[in-house]
Amino acid sequence: MPNQFTKVKWIILAALTAGLGTVPIWGTDYAMLFFMLFCIYLALAQMWNLLAGYSGLISLGQQSFVGLGGYTLAVLSSYYGINIWTGVGLGGLASVLLALFMSLFIFRMKGVYFAIGTWIFAEALLVWFSNWAYVKYGSGLFIKPTNELSMEAIYAAAFVVGAGSVALVYILLRSRLGLGLMAMRDDDQVAETLGVEVFRSKLYCFLISAFVTGITAGIFYVFQIFIQPYKAFAIDWTVKLVFMVIIGGIGTIEGPIVGALLYVLLSQFLAEYFSVSMLILGGIAIVVILVAPKGIMGTLQEKLGLEVLSPRRF
Amino acid sequence: MEGLAQDILNGLLLGGLYAIVAIGLSTIFGIVRLVNLAHGDLMILAAYLSLFMAAALGISPLLTLVAIIPIMFAIGYILQRFLLNRVLGEEMEPPLLVAFGVSIILQNFMLMTFTPDARSLMSDLSLMTFALGGNLSVPVLYLIDFCIASAVIVGQHYFLQYTYMGRGIRAASDDKYAAKLMGVNTQNTYAVAMGIAIMTAGVAGVLVGMTFTFYPHSGPQYLIIAFGVVVIGGLGSMKGTFFGGLILALAQILGARVFGPGYQLLCGYVVLLIVLAIRPQGILGRG
Repeated sequence: MPNQFTKVKWIILAALTAGLGTVPIWGTDYAMLFFMLFCIYLALAQMWNLLAGYSGLISLGQQSFVGLGGYTLAVLSSYYGINIWTGVGLGGLASVLLALFMSLFIFRMKGVYFAIGTWIFAEALLVWFSNWAYVKYGSGLFIKPTNELSMEAIYAAAFVVGAGSVALVYILLRSRLGLGLMAMRDDDQVAETLGVEVFRSKLYCFLISAFVTGITAGIFYVFQIFIQPYKAFAIDWTVKLVFMVIIGGIGTIEGPIVGALLYVLLSQFLAEYFSVSMLILGGIAIVVILVAPKGIMGTLQEKLGLEVLSPRRF
Repeated sequence: MEGLAQDILNGLLLGGLYAIVAIGLSTIFGIVRLVNLAHGDLMILAAYLSLFMAAALGISPLLTLVAIIPIMFAIGYILQRFLLNRVLGEEMEPPLLVAFGVSIILQNFMLMTFTPDARSLMSDLSLMTFALGGNLSVPVLYLIDFCIASAVIVGQHYFLQYTYMGRGIRAASDDKYAAKLMGVNTQNTYAVAMGIAIMTAGVAGVLVGMTFTFYPHSGPQYLIIAFGVVVIGGLGSMKGTFFGGLILALAQILGARVFGPGYQLLCGYVVLLIVLAIRPQGILGRG
């Protein structure tokens, strides 16, 4: 019975979300840390998926928004004493402005050129910030909260962006914009003939992704307290996101959830051996592309017709 | 204006080095339509191999090229034949992501094996210069880089233009299906093309290692230089690659002169983004 299945599905989803939201109440400190990282990576991965899986924009420069979001927060909180959550929000706004500026250049490029254009932007920002006296060069800045912050408050913020990003992508894909995006993904010329505004749809996705990535990075740096250009603008960010989404299933809403969970688990087990964990991730991702190009969730959907969060309305 | 002429001379010579850094990326993009994101990491791998060979045998890094060239050819061949060929298709993203995976694996493998310390391939040539009169002098190493780079690029051009294999590679690049019908084994052809591309990357890696210091994470920096050269010069043209290398090297060196050495890389990136925004097909690229 499809209707009964739908009902059960939503109950389970609601229970899982409630469980995730109440970790600070029932979980240990370690569980809280674990699920906070999960929420943060989930939001970042979901945004990369929105670009790569639905809009055909492979960005290798998500670290531009991570770094700018984090640095905006750091500058505002330590130089101007602005409230930390306002700083996080303004970090998202700064990322949107950067994305708008970037789009002037890179939206003229297609496919692979777009990928590398975004990466060059990120590298340019890395060099700029590490040579900029105002942000203390490569030695980095501290984020100074105006008032005492509890771990619970940071967790709540991470939960909001984590669960929020899933809800946002779900709603977005079921809207007019989402319908247009999926038409574009299948054939952008036909979609354009039928009246889908390809350029504008892609731009909206790029800006939304920049905003969410910027605020998520802000929350991450509220937790980290310290920001450095070589970490914040590192390609490692995008590497992680690409692997989470590819392994979980590109172009599915559930994929990034599974991918982020696997990534946080793996990185906890191999916390002391960062290089090894990256090596393993690289290996797994290559095997997944060769064997099951649709990733874990994509393959399950194909084989079992199991689609928990369907972007299709019909 | 003191030293300006010297900077321009250095920039021109460095341009040759940048051209050889880029030629492999350009070749493989032109032939297989693949952006090899592991290009820079393979260069650095060659530099490390050369470092250990030179130390073990007590020879000049230049002599290690005798072994580096076949090793890198084999690595490129195997990489294409057994990994990248499997994901080639209509879409460009899967091979891009596989190459990205290879890049990450190589970087972390080098980090674990060779430690994060800065290395360089020292030789007697490192500090030698000869005077040109006036205040000009030519760093011998830069001149060697330029000469070897030119020889490799011209050699590759003639190989692709005039040998049987070269014609096969160009045929497969122009029309895969027509080439197959004419009896070209495209799988093998692509693998040979990648072998040649990675071989040039190996030579570039040894030259870069002799000229600058390198780290396990230096790969992406050279990948971006290579990409910049390709973007400025346009794809698949030998002249364009030289031209792109010169422009990028001059932009970096003159940028460093005006804004300070910290901004050398940034100036290169800015020139690149401007070119991309104005002429996405490259300055010399075909429309």
